[in-house]
Amino acid sequence: MSLAGTMGGHTRKPWLKRLADTSEPYLYSAPSLILIVTVMLVPLALGISYAFRDIQLLNPFSGGFIGLDHFRALGEDTAFYRALKNTLWWTGASVFLQFTFGLILALLLDKPFWGRGVVQALVFLPWAVPSFLAGLNWAWLFNPVIGPLPHWFFALGLIDQPTNLLSDPHYAMWGPILANVWWGIPFFAITLLAALQAIPRDLYEAASIDGATGLQRFTSITLPFLAPTIAITVLLRTVWISNFADLIVVMTGGGPADRTQIVASYIFTQAFRRLDFGYASAIALVLLALLMAYSMLIILLRQSLLSKD
Amino acid sequence: MASISIKNLKKAYGTFSVLHGVDLDIADGEFVVLVGPSGCGKSTLLRMIAGLEGVTEGEIQIDGARVNDRHPKDRDIAMVFQSYALYPHMTVAENMSYSLRLRKVAKDVAARAVTAASQKLGLEPFLARRPKALSGGQRQRVAMGRAIVRQPKAFLFDEPLSNLDARLREQMRAEIKKMHADLKATSIYVTHDQIEAMTLADRIVAMHGGVVQQVGSPLDLYDRPANLFVAGFIGSPGMNFLEGRAEKDGIRLRDESFMAMGDVPEHLLGQQVTLGIRPEHVVLDAHGQGMPAHLDLVEPTGFGIILHLTLNGLPLKVFTLDRAVLQAGPMVAVTLAQEHLHLFGPDGSRIGGTSDPAAAA
Ligand SMILES: Nc1ncnc2c1ncn2[C@@H]1O[C@H](COP(=O)(O)OP(=O)(O)OP(=O)(O)O)[C@@H](O)[C@H]1O
Ligand SMILES: [Mg+2]
Repeated sequence: MSLAGTMGGHTRKPWLKRLADTSEPYLYSAPSLILIVTVMLVPLALGISYAFRDIQLLNPFSGGFIGLDHFRALGEDTAFYRALKNTLWWTGASVFLQFTFGLILALLLDKPFWGRGVVQALVFLPWAVPSFLAGLNWAWLFNPVIGPLPHWFFALGLIDQPTNLLSDPHYAMWGPILANVWWGIPFFAITLLAALQAIPRDLYEAASIDGATGLQRFTSITLPFLAPTIAITVLLRTVWISNFADLIVVMTGGGPADRTQIVASYIFTQAFRRLDFGYASAIALVLLALLMAYSMLIILLRQSLLSKD
Repeated sequence: MASISIKNLKKAYGTFSVLHGVDLDIADGEFVVLVGPSGCGKSTLLRMIAGLEGVTEGEIQIDGARVNDRHPKDRDIAMVFQSYALYPHMTVAENMSYSLRLRKVAKDVAARAVTAASQKLGLEPFLARRPKALSGGQRQRVAMGRAIVRQPKAFLFDEPLSNLDARLREQMRAEIKKMHADLKATSIYVTHDQIEAMTLADRIVAMHGGVVQQVGSPLDLYDRPANLFVAGFIGSPGMNFLEGRAEKDGIRLRDESFMAMGDVPEHLLGQQVTLGIRPEHVVLDAHGQGMPAHLDLVEPTGFGIILHLTLNGLPLKVFTLDRAVLQAGPMVAVTLAQEHLHLFGPDGSRIGGTSDPAAAA
C-alpha cells in the first residue's frame, strides 16, 4: 500500500510540477497582458464593431447590426473620395515641406556658430505649442481684419485683394498646410540633427582631402548616413499627418465647400457634427487599412535598405 | 611629388597656443617622421599641412606655392587617418576609387589603378566588401590603398599603425618602407612609436610642447641628441641622466663622486650640468674593475637584458647582451665609457664633444 502510494505520488508530482513550470512565465506576465488587452484591444474591437452597426446618437432605435452597408455607402460617397484626394495632397505637401525645411535647418544647426544654443532652443519652440493654439493663431494671421499675412501677400503681388486665403476655394488647403509645416519642422530638425551629429567628422575630412566639394560630401556621406533616419521619420510623420485633423478643424472646419476636408476631419465631422458614429467608424477602418498598407511598404523598403549594408 | 616647406608656422586655439613657430623644409621624395609625446602638436601640424586646420601665422608651401588658404581638395595630398576614416557605405573598391571618380578619371584608368593598388596591398579578395566586414589590419590596408591610387603630391600619415597589434605593426612598417622605396613619394609620418620613427625616417623631427627640438637623421638623433628632451625621448630603454656640477676635468656628481671627462668648456665651470649615457654604453665588468653598483632588478627581454642598478645612490639602467650577468651577485662593477658620455648644459642643450659629427666619427 505504502509502496503504491509513493509510486502514485511519484507520477503525479512531476506532472503537476511540469504544469507549474510551463505556466510560470505566463502567470507572471498575465497581469500586464490582461491590462494591455483591455486597454488596447477592447476599444479597438469595439470601434471596429461600430463600423458594422447602425449607431446614430440622435436615433434611439439605431444600434442594430447592418453588415457591410456602411462600406457600400462609402463606396458611393463622393465627399469621401474628395477627402481621400485632399488627404493625399495635405499629407504629401506637409511631409515634403516639413522634411525639406527640417533638413535644411538641421544642416544649418549642425555647423558651429555664435549663439547656436539659443537658436536651437528657439527653433524647437513651435513643437511645444498646442496644435489648437497653433491653428487659431494661424487662422488669425490669415484673417485680413486682424492678421498681417493677406496684406503682405497683396503687397508682394501674390493676390489681387487682401482676402482671407482660408475662404478661397482654390487655395484654402495651403492655409492649414502652411500652419502644419511651421508646426512640424522642429520634429524633423531635431531627429535629423541628432542623426547628423552621429556622423564621424573624420569622414568629411577624408572626403575633402579626396577632393569632394561640399555637395559631393553631402551626397556621398551625409545622405547615406541619414537614409535610415529619413525613412523612419517620413513614415512616422506621414501616418501622423494623415491622421492629424486638429489644424484643419480649427482653421477651416473642412470648408469652404469641403475643399479642405481630409479623411480624418471627415471622420470628425461625421462623428461629432452628424453624430453618425457607425459611418465614422467605417471611414476610420478604411483609413486604418490604407495606413497599415503604407507602413508595411515603408518598413519593407527600410529593411531592404538596411540589409544592403 | 613635391617639396613641402613650412615657415614660422604658428597655431593657436583662441588664446591657447599649440605650435610656437615651426620651420621645416622637406625635400621631394623624402620620408619625414614627426615624433613627440602626446599633445605636443604633431597631429595639428599634419592637419595644417593637409588644410584641415587653419593657419594662425606663418606659411606653408607645396612646391614653392603658398597654400595657406587653399582648400584641402586643391592641395593634391593624401592622408591616412589613425581611425582610417573609411566610407562605411562604399565597398573597398569604391572607397579606393572615390577620389578618382571625383576627379572624373576615365573608368578603365581608375579600375586599373585600383587593381594595381589592391594587388600591392593584397586586397583583391576583399574588393567587393564593405569596411564593416574587414579586420583592423585589412581596413588599414584599404586606407593605404585609398591614399596611393591617385598618386598625390605627398602622403600624410597620422599614427596609421597605432590600432594594430605588435606583429601586424611590424609587418605594415616594413610594407610602408617598401612602398616608399617603390613610389618615392614625399611623406610625412606622425607617430609616437620610436621604432617606427627610427626605421622609417630619412629624417626625424622631434617635437615637444609645440616646438621643434631637433631635426636630423635617425642616427643623428640617437648619437647626438641636441638636448635633454631628445636624449630622453629617443631610445628604449631610455638614456641615463646623472646631474652634477662642472669642474675642471670632469663632473662632480650629486653624491660627491667624480666623473672624469675630457675637457669641460671654461664657461661651464661651477654650473649645473647633466651627464647622459645610454644603457648599452655602461660596461659591466666581471672582474670587479670600476665603480661598485648595487643590482636592484633584472629584466630579461630575450634579446638582451636590462639591469636596474644603484650607483652611489643614483639609479642607472644598463642594457647588455651578456647572459652571464643573470648569475651576478648583488654587487657589480660598472664603467661609463667616456667616449659615449653626453654632456648637457644648465639649459638642457648639448655641450660640444660628440655633438660634432666629425669628432664622433
Ligand atoms: N580644436 C582644439 N581646440 C583646442 N585645443 C586643441 C584643439 N585641437 C587640439 N588641441 C590641443 O592642441 C594640442 C596638440 O594636439 P595634437 O592633436 O596636435 O597632439 P598630438 O601631438 O597629435 O598628440 P597625440 O600623440 O596624442 O595624438 C593638445 O594640447 C590639444 O589639447
Ligand atoms: Mg595626434
